[in-house]
Amino acid sequence: MSYQVPSKFPTTVIGSYPKIAGASEIIKRRDRGEISEEEFHRLIRVPISEVVKDYLEAGVDIISDGEQSREDMVVYFAQRVKGYAEGEWVRIFDNMYFRKPIIVGELRRETSLAIEDWAYTSSISQGRPVKFIITGPYTMMEWSFNVFYRDRAELIMALAKIIREEVMDAVKAGAKYVQVDEPALSTRPWPEEAQLAGEALRYVFAGVEAKRVVHICYGRLERLLPYILDYPVDQFALEFKNSDFRLLPYLKEYGYNKELGYGVIDVHSLQVETVEEVKRDIDRLMKLGILAPEKVYINPDCGLKRLPREVAKAKLINMVKAARLAREEW
Amino acid sequence: MVLGGYPRAREVRHALRDVERGDISYHESAWRVLSAGAGIIGAQEAAGMKFVVDGMVDWHDIFRPFVAAWRNVSADGLLRYFDNNFFYRVPVFNDRPDPSDFVWSPRLRSFLHLAEPSPLKAVIPGPFTFVTLSKNSSGLSREDLAEGIASALAVEAQRAEAAGAGAIQIDEPALSDQEVTEDDARLAVELINVITSQLKVPTVLAIYFDVPRAEVYRELLEAKVNYLSLDVADAPKRALDLIGGQGFGDHRPVLGVIDARRIEDDNFERVREWVKQALKGYDGEAGLTTTTWFDVIPYTYSLRKTFLLGYYTERLRGEMT
Repeated sequence: MSYQVPSKFPTTVIGSYPKIAGASEIIKRRDRGEISEEEFHRLIRVPISEVVKDYLEAGVDIISDGEQSREDMVVYFAQRVKGYAEGEWVRIFDNMYFRKPIIVGELRRETSLAIEDWAYTSSISQGRPVKFIITGPYTMMEWSFNVFYRDRAELIMALAKIIREEVMDAVKAGAKYVQVDEPALSTRPWPEEAQLAGEALRYVFAGVEAKRVVHICYGRLERLLPYILDYPVDQFALEFKNSDFRLLPYLKEYGYNKELGYGVIDVHSLQVETVEEVKRDIDRLMKLGILAPEKVYINPDCGLKRLPREVAKAKLINMVKAARLAREEW
Repeated sequence: MVLGGYPRAREVRHALRDVERGDISYHESAWRVLSAGAGIIGAQEAAGMKFVVDGMVDWHDIFRPFVAAWRNVSADGLLRYFDNNFFYRVPVFNDRPDPSDFVWSPRLRSFLHLAEPSPLKAVIPGPFTFVTLSKNSSGLSREDLAEGIASALAVEAQRAEAAGAGAIQIDEPALSDQEVTEDDARLAVELINVITSQLKVPTVLAIYFDVPRAEVYRELLEAKVNYLSLDVADAPKRALDLIGGQGFGDHRPVLGVIDARRIEDDNFERVREWVKQALKGYDGEAGLTTTTWFDVIPYTYSLRKTFLLGYYTERLRGEMT
C-alpha cells in the first residue's frame, strides 16, 4: 500500500508518544531480565500498534513507532551498546528522573538497536512513511557520565560510528526518513560545541540516501542556529511553540534555507492548541517569506511522551487540520 | 561550603511521588524531607564545611518555592536550565511579587538545631537571574519587575537572618552568560545590594555554569557581599585569567573547584594548581566550593564529592598555611 505524502506542509511527529498501557511493564520485565530482547520487541508490538492507530486516526503523514520501547532516549541505547553501565537516577524536572548511564569501556554496537520496532511500525503504517529515529552522538555523550574516554572528540566519534552503523542498516532496510535527535546541542550553543557535533553528524550522515533530519529543542536555539547551518542535513526539526516562536526572526536573519520541521505544538502544556491557533502559527512562518510550503513540515515541538494519550492525540488532530487549512492557503 | 541543593535519595523521591498521588500524608512526606536534610547536613558537618545547606531536596527548582510563596506569580511550562539536561518551570509574573509566605524562616527553624558546629546557609535566587529566566506578563518594565523581585527577596533574606541563618547566598548564574552586558551587571549589582544592605550575617554571591565576561566581572566587584564564588572547574583558563586580571575586589574568594556535574573524582593535583594560581598574591580568607548545586548527579556521588571538597580543603589548608 502506498501513501502520497502531501507536497506542502506534510505533518509528522518528533518521535515519542505517551506510553500505552502495558508498555512500561514490558520495559521493566526486560530490564529485570524476565524476558529476552526478542520477546521484548515482540511484546512491545501491541503498544506500537495502538500508537500507530492514533496517528492514522489523527491523519499524521509521516509517523513513528512512538518510542514505546524507550524508557528514555539515552538509556534505551545505552542499555544495548557495549561499554555502557547502568547509571543511577538523576532528576530531569520536578520529580521526574532518568537513569543517567555511565560509559565505562570501549563503545561498540553488537546488535541492531532500533530497527526492529521501525520495521514492525512500517508493516502496519498503511503505507505512510515511518521515521527512523535515533539519539545523536552529541546528546549520547553529553547525557551520559563518562569515566572511560579521556578525550571528548574520541568519545563522540565512537558514538558516531555506532549510530552510523545503525542508520546505514535502517536505510538498507528501507527507511526514507532518518532523524537524529540532538536536544543536548542547544544547551551549549557555542561554536566549538557545534563544530564537534557537526563533525560527528557529518560522519553519521555521509552517503545516507534518505531524508536526513536533525531534531533540536529548547535551550538557546537562536544562538546555535548560525553554527549549524552548514550541517550536512536536509532538515532541522526545531521547537518553536514553547518559546513563543522566539526563533522566527532569526531564521530570516541567518538566511535559513533548509527544510524546516516546524514545532507548533507545546508538548509541555496540557492545553490543546486550537486549529485556528496552529494555523495562525503556520501563517507567522509563511509571512516571513523565507521558505516555500514544500519545505515546511508541521510537527510538535518535541516528543509527546509526557502528555496523557487523549491530550496528545487531540493535539495531533488539530495540528493535522491546521496543516490542511494551510495547504489551501499557501 | 557546598553551593546549594543536593539530589534526592530514593526515600525522598518516593515520598514526593507518593504525596503527589495522595498515597501518603503531607506530614509523612515532610518528615522524609527533614530526615534527608539531616543526613545532608551531617555529611557537610563531618567534612568540615564553614557553612552548610539542608540540601533543599524538596525544591523542584531554585525558583519554585518563591513562586509558591508569592502572590502575582505562577509556575508555567518547562524550560531548560542553562546547559543542563534539567528543566525548570518558568515563573510568570502578572504583577509585582507580593510575599504571602516565607520560604526560609520556617525551614531554618526545622533544620537549625541539626547544624552544629557550622551554621546553616540560606540560598536564594538572585533577582537578575530570576527576572531573566521568568516571563514578564505584569506590564511593568523589566527593571521595575526586577526591583520588585529584589524587594521580595530582601524581605525573605531578612526573615531568614532573623530565623537564624548563618549566611545568605545569592545565586546569579545568569551573570555568567556571555551575552550579559555591563548595564545588566550594573542592574544586577544594584538589585543584590538591595538584598544585602540590610543584612548583618555573611553574604555570598555565587556565579556558576560559566565565567562572566571581564567587563561584567568588573561591575560585579561592586556588589556589597562578603564572599564572591566563581566557577573555576568548568572553564579553568578563563576563570584563572579573569581572577589574575582583576582579583576579587574587597571580597573573600570562594573557588568552585569540585565539579558538581560530573561523577568522577576531581583530581587533587589539578585542584591544587588552580587554587595556587587563583590565590597568588592573596593572603586573606579563601574558600573552596562546588561548581554548582549537586542536583544533576546521583545522590551517592554528591556525598562522595562533599567528602572530597572537605578533604581537599583540609589538605590545601595544611599545605598553604
